[in-house]
Amino acid sequence: MRSLLAGVRVIDFSWIGAGSYTTKILADLGADVIKIESSQRLDTLRVTKPFKDGKPGVNRSGYFADRNSSKRSITLNVKDPRGLDMAKRLIADAHLVTNNFTPGVMDKLGLGYDAVRSLSERIVYASMSMQGAEGPEKADLGYGLTIAALTGLQHMTGLPDREPAGTGTNYPDHIPNPGHTAFAILAALRHQRRTGRGQYIDLAQMEPTLAFIGPSLMNYLVNGVIDSRHGNARPGHAPSGVYPCAGDDRWIAIEVCDDAQWEKLATVLGLAAQADWATMQGRLRQREAIDAEVAKRTATHDMSALMRTLQDAGVPAGAVYDARDVVNDPQLEARGHWVSLDHPEMGPSTYNSPPYRFSHAHSEPSSPAPLLGQHTAEICRDLLGLDDATIEKLSAEGVLA
Amino acid sequence: MTSTPNAAALAGITVLDVAGPLGNYCGKLFADLGARVILVEPPEGAPTRHLEPRIAGRNDPDSSLTFQYQNTNKESIALDLDTAAGQEIFRKLASQASLVIESEQPGVMARRGLDFAALSKLNASLTLTSITAFGQSGPFSHWLATDLTAMGMGGMMYLAGYPDTAPMVACGEQAVGAANVFAGVASMAAVYDAEAGNPGQHVDVSMQECVVLGMENAVQFYDLEGTIRKRNAGTQRLAGTGVFECRDGYIYLMAGGVGSNKFWAVTTDWLVAEGVAGAEQFREPCWLDQAFLVTEEAKQRFGAIFTPFARSLTKSELHAKGRERRIPLAPISDTRDISQSPQREYRGYFVDVKDAQGATLRMPGAPYKLSETPWALRKRAPRLGEHTQEVLAWAGFTQDQQQALRQQGAVQ
Repeated sequence: MRSLLAGVRVIDFSWIGAGSYTTKILADLGADVIKIESSQRLDTLRVTKPFKDGKPGVNRSGYFADRNSSKRSITLNVKDPRGLDMAKRLIADAHLVTNNFTPGVMDKLGLGYDAVRSLSERIVYASMSMQGAEGPEKADLGYGLTIAALTGLQHMTGLPDREPAGTGTNYPDHIPNPGHTAFAILAALRHQRRTGRGQYIDLAQMEPTLAFIGPSLMNYLVNGVIDSRHGNARPGHAPSGVYPCAGDDRWIAIEVCDDAQWEKLATVLGLAAQADWATMQGRLRQREAIDAEVAKRTATHDMSALMRTLQDAGVPAGAVYDARDVVNDPQLEARGHWVSLDHPEMGPSTYNSPPYRFSHAHSEPSSPAPLLGQHTAEICRDLLGLDDATIEKLSAEGVLA
Repeated sequence: MTSTPNAAALAGITVLDVAGPLGNYCGKLFADLGARVILVEPPEGAPTRHLEPRIAGRNDPDSSLTFQYQNTNKESIALDLDTAAGQEIFRKLASQASLVIESEQPGVMARRGLDFAALSKLNASLTLTSITAFGQSGPFSHWLATDLTAMGMGGMMYLAGYPDTAPMVACGEQAVGAANVFAGVASMAAVYDAEAGNPGQHVDVSMQECVVLGMENAVQFYDLEGTIRKRNAGTQRLAGTGVFECRDGYIYLMAGGVGSNKFWAVTTDWLVAEGVAGAEQFREPCWLDQAFLVTEEAKQRFGAIFTPFARSLTKSELHAKGRERRIPLAPISDTRDISQSPQREYRGYFVDVKDAQGATLRMPGAPYKLSETPWALRKRAPRLGEHTQEVLAWAGFTQDQQQALRQQGAVQ
């Protein structure tokens, strides 16, 4: 089995959320991702909970670890001219440079796109800022949660009569931005291989997130309609929603897509047949009354057992899984989603695999997250041709720190 | 190699994008970067042609906004894959394509003789990407799912919503979006590899598994500390971090920052400079302790001081003040606010296209700017079967053969 991106080298200046998740995708696909770190300016996630056994430490964060599988780490002080020179030598041989800083930060370091292009005509240079490289708001800073606020995800998620709920997470960092950036990078790597030419990818993290609510944006841009929150009810489908189950904070999501599914749901739950509930239109008119009846009956069932019974009957139903449930889910287990990797300090710990499998190639992470600077010496030796004495001297003088 | 400036990044790649239950955003990613993407629609049209919302006042097969958005730059062939003739045509097309994307339930393509085993015999470098709810195998692979149920089984839903109500599903079918964008990544990686002379891949994408990647650090909290992360909408995540009401709506403030207290001090300086009563107390050392920030006491004290101030200003006034001091503070924007953003205007983010009936449709444009091979809107979404003739001709069918296929009902 081969790895699809074997032979692709990435010099990775990205940190925290969206950037690190993007390069995890590439690393898990087999690219050699070299994470440029600094012990002076730590990747914030290295010091963010949760920590192994609750004990803080730069090599103990599970938040950091999961986003940095399959990568190598070098500590390199690029503010020292010798460190900057080493970074440039690494870049000159690489395929891709990545960062998710505010525009201008890489330029100040002497590693802006123009400087890097002068080192390598073929380099692909991907920048993931909040608002893009140019424009009146280019200097804005942001996190997943503020991007969710600015892109409508927050406004349109939750109950109409309550404050906006959003996803409760930095969601844009996890899926829309890493997914789109990785796609653009792979397209640019293809162009690089075909033509020998590199390019600059300017990604504003606002924009892939907005791409994921395209139809709602069009509803305003085309029809002048401002979409708002509508809880868990799905347009056109009744009943559809999230209903209580037996136990503490246990729920099941059910969505009836046609009349046949309704009949099956009514049979499983023992709902009294009402003639005007037989059609979707009739049910949509009485959505709230039906929801109340459904909820009354689901509340006595175990969520997993009810999910199985409904699925066996042909009704789309899904238990609302918490973190323990996803780790124990038989389907994710059958796919081998969770992998345990033996981290040098954290020991065996749980990592996400990518959500795809290839018939003839690896997809799972190859190694746990690196310790801070774990691969400094080997990268200096193997890629920069430095001898041990030089490496020691550069370490002692704070260049490799 | 010779350079070809401004050629499309994906020029030369042909994609068959089978219109199935999980939509066609994955194919759009390819089409908008210059691949030739042929939307293979059943005779009644792609399922997304029947989705709301529509262009106001219309009910025709070109009026769905989702369909128009997801199918820019594509061609359409109307092809009945449940007939022998339709299957034969599909095999001909696949023998000349780089990638097939489909989202039927597992087993459907095999019953049609169009699974990876069959197609790769005709075209060894072909990649076939299957996007399904749960993946191609495993105990639940035959189960039904919608975006709503997948958000539940993928663990994102449990983290969203108010502690005193049911968990909340995210707007905009994020599970379907996630499955499509990850399918795009995996397909692109497989095509990249196949173009180097390696055999193609069957790419198996699970929507449930895609959603799991949106659980942030919840699984690591369970794995490393044995705790179950819960939802907290309507409350502050930490004191100073959460949704706050203002004069004309809501803002999101992150004074707690991510894993550090660096924004606390600047937020305090700001509130003191504004003369907010009681803000001086935020300089006390307890506010730099994350363990204190998570307590109800801290959240209440912060809210009591900050909320009256926030209620005196609009979301755009608060946004401007936050921007000035580099505090992560964002207005909770609706789609009208977004459409009026000067930054989106500057970047030319929204693009216009005329649909088949001449209506102007404004929609999101480039999700990324590639300097050499830019994203480009070349043409509107196709009418059903608009390119059937060209596509059949490309596949080598003569005029007479095409006529016969139409009469059989295999194509439209």
